[in-house]
Amino acid sequence: MTLPSVLYHCTCSNAYSATNAPPPAHLPSSSYAFHPLSTLFFCEECDLVRCNRCVAVEVSGYYCPNCLFEVPSASVRAEKNRCARNCFQCPHCSNTLSVVGSDPPPNPNPRAPPNVNSSGDSPFFLFCNYCRWDSVEAGMTFEKPTGLAHQLQKNEDLAPETLEFDRLKDHFEPLLRASLHSSSSPAHPVTSTPMNAITAAANSALNRDIPGLRRKGRGEKHNLKDEWGVYRARIDSANSGVDAEGEVDFLRDCEDVNEIAGLEQRWGSSWAHSIKANDLEPLRVPLHSKQSKRCPECRHILIKPEQKSQSVRYKIKLMAANYLPLIEIMLAQPPAQMPTALQQRTAKGRPGAAQGAGAGASGNVTTVGAGADELGAGLLVSGRTYQFQLAFTNPLYDPIQVRLSVQRAQPTGFTLPTAGTGTSTKPARAPFAISLPTTPFPISAYAEAWEYDDDDEEMFMDDEELEDIIAGREVGAAGGMGALRGGRPGGAGGSEKGNVGVLERKANVTKVGGEVVLGKDALGEIKFNMLVSYTYRSDDPQSNADDGSSAANTNKTGTGEMKTFSFYSVVYLGTVGPRGATR
Amino acid sequence: MAPIKDKFTIHSKAVVCQDVELKGDITIGSGTIVHPKATIFAIAGPIVIGTGCIIEEAVIIVNRKKEVMRIGDENLFEIGSRVECPSIGDFNTIGTRARVHHTLRMTSYCVIGAGCLVVPAEEESLEEYTVIYGPSAERRIWSGRGKIQELDLRRKHAEYLRDMLPKFNRLREDKGLK
Ligand SMILES: [Zn+2]
Ligand SMILES: [Zn+2]
Ligand SMILES: [Zn+2]
Ligand SMILES: [Zn+2]
Ligand SMILES: [Zn+2]
Repeated sequence: MTLPSVLYHCTCSNAYSATNAPPPAHLPSSSYAFHPLSTLFFCEECDLVRCNRCVAVEVSGYYCPNCLFEVPSASVRAEKNRCARNCFQCPHCSNTLSVVGSDPPPNPNPRAPPNVNSSGDSPFFLFCNYCRWDSVEAGMTFEKPTGLAHQLQKNEDLAPETLEFDRLKDHFEPLLRASLHSSSSPAHPVTSTPMNAITAAANSALNRDIPGLRRKGRGEKHNLKDEWGVYRARIDSANSGVDAEGEVDFLRDCEDVNEIAGLEQRWGSSWAHSIKANDLEPLRVPLHSKQSKRCPECRHILIKPEQKSQSVRYKIKLMAANYLPLIEIMLAQPPAQMPTALQQRTAKGRPGAAQGAGAGASGNVTTVGAGADELGAGLLVSGRTYQFQLAFTNPLYDPIQVRLSVQRAQPTGFTLPTAGTGTSTKPARAPFAISLPTTPFPISAYAEAWEYDDDDEEMFMDDEELEDIIAGREVGAAGGMGALRGGRPGGAGGSEKGNVGVLERKANVTKVGGEVVLGKDALGEIKFNMLVSYTYRSDDPQSNADDGSSAANTNKTGTGEMKTFSFYSVVYLGTVGPRGATR
Repeated sequence: MAPIKDKFTIHSKAVVCQDVELKGDITIGSGTIVHPKATIFAIAGPIVIGTGCIIEEAVIIVNRKKEVMRIGDENLFEIGSRVECPSIGDFNTIGTRARVHHTLRMTSYCVIGAGCLVVPAEEESLEEYTVIYGPSAERRIWSGRGKIQELDLRRKHAEYLRDMLPKFNRLREDKGLK
């Protein structure tokens, strides 16, 4: 069971739909559309959130994670993506290896200090300080303590697999070049993505040559095919390569599982490798890369690290966390006994989560206090009412006004229940209903720590007070959008009755309460899409002319600088287990 | 059980810092270095530590058995390790925050990797050159290649500590007594 959480929507999952609304929370596709705030970027140009799934990634540099040498991209290919200096990985434990010399012959007098040469004696070998593996075990020693990578790479380059691959590359080289030329014809739309030769060749090959597909102009195709010639493998794969029988014999006689190289250990080497642990060879340390990410629409850079491999800083870093309020959710433990007013209450439909809701037996909601352990495990019990708290943290240097609503957009086939009216005629009854504060609430500006004002009004109340209010509370509508209860305009600090409303304001954090009423039929994950709109003062006076794709709206009335940004989030409250398990 | 009687026999060439907790019958050999904040408890039987060992900060060595706990020469106990082996040979390395239970006897040239927990259910004697490493305490046998260089390095390490530690720490006064 996972803890309650709030994830943020990226509109890229809507590429094929007309709206910017995310899929309803109960659909499997929902999990692909939402992301943790900390992983999201924000494009100021497009005024939209961008996620790792839609950004365009570019490598801005390669470096060795061990020696931090920045490898020019020209060398990366020649050195086969691994460090060509003296950096090696232990094939057993993947620790870094060091080059050591051989021991001098033991001194005849055991108490006398050994005559160790400080620069080491030949032959040299690679040694793991952690698991004490050394390359002599794999039959590798070196005359000199330098240039080991070159010797290792020579071995790699002479491997039959490498030679075969190089031959294949040579064979296709002319074809790649030819395809590159033909792909620049106007028939192929020029994309803004920088294409390398292989991608381009693959593109044109796909476009041109699909076996079994009848196309016009086949004559040309045949000509081209003939130019390729027939590729003959260096090695006859039928009777060469792996000594399978030897391996079987080895396995049959094997008594210690440690004699067999683990999958993890064999994984690191590029080609098919012996299954014997003794044959494992040191690996040159694989290079890492630094990446920049661009907005997929406008190509502006969203994040760009500093070039130096030693630096962990960024030149550009447009994180969504610096633009959107951070929302954290906490489920409150329901009071042991709920007032009678609530007990009579029927579960109101919320079609956004209509899954599994059968013919509407509008059962009374029985409310029993849930044990703290159940809440801790994220387990909810059907038929109960839970209160939750959403803490909003404003990252902006200006105060914002936030308005919440539960997603209105519904899949076809469901109708929206309206507040107060009888919902018994609905074909499908949502298994739970959400109440959120419907009036906008303010969050103060982010300020440096020393500017915090301790006199901020505290709106927190103790449990008893809370229950009194709940008891006397007229139960309003379920959390459908249209349910504008009270309708207080601009309710700064104006809390709604009970737990639903603003609970606390402190510094740049505002906590609001909500409530979920679980129907008798509620089962599985309880989560809902929440539209968050916040109004802020825009920095630049001239507002961007928005195209329809943008979620932001400019409100030109009044000051003319107030802007509203809206985004969707999915709020996961917990999971209702199967009835038998919880009762 | 009779109350433990403290009896410390510390060689005059050993370096034992003042801020070290010793209990019971303890013998510390020549050239052995005990860093501050180390703990050596001979709860039941005595503890005898050989020469040239390095016992770093926050190391805990405990003898829960009646028999003498013998620790050989030139062993290295790294920071925060906890050792209860009834016997330890020579030239072993016990890594940072490793824990070795009293069911294990160590021979020589063994390495217990940093953070490894070695808790054999039954009494066990570790074969020479055994290396225990990694989060799941995997085992390997070390070829022994490089051991002379390592021995040389350890002796230089100890030599350096014997020079430097007394300059920055108070040493126990009862050295060479009793
Ligand atoms: Zn953009
Ligand atoms: Zn995206
Ligand atoms: Zn390197
Ligand atoms: Zn290793
Ligand atoms: Zn753009």
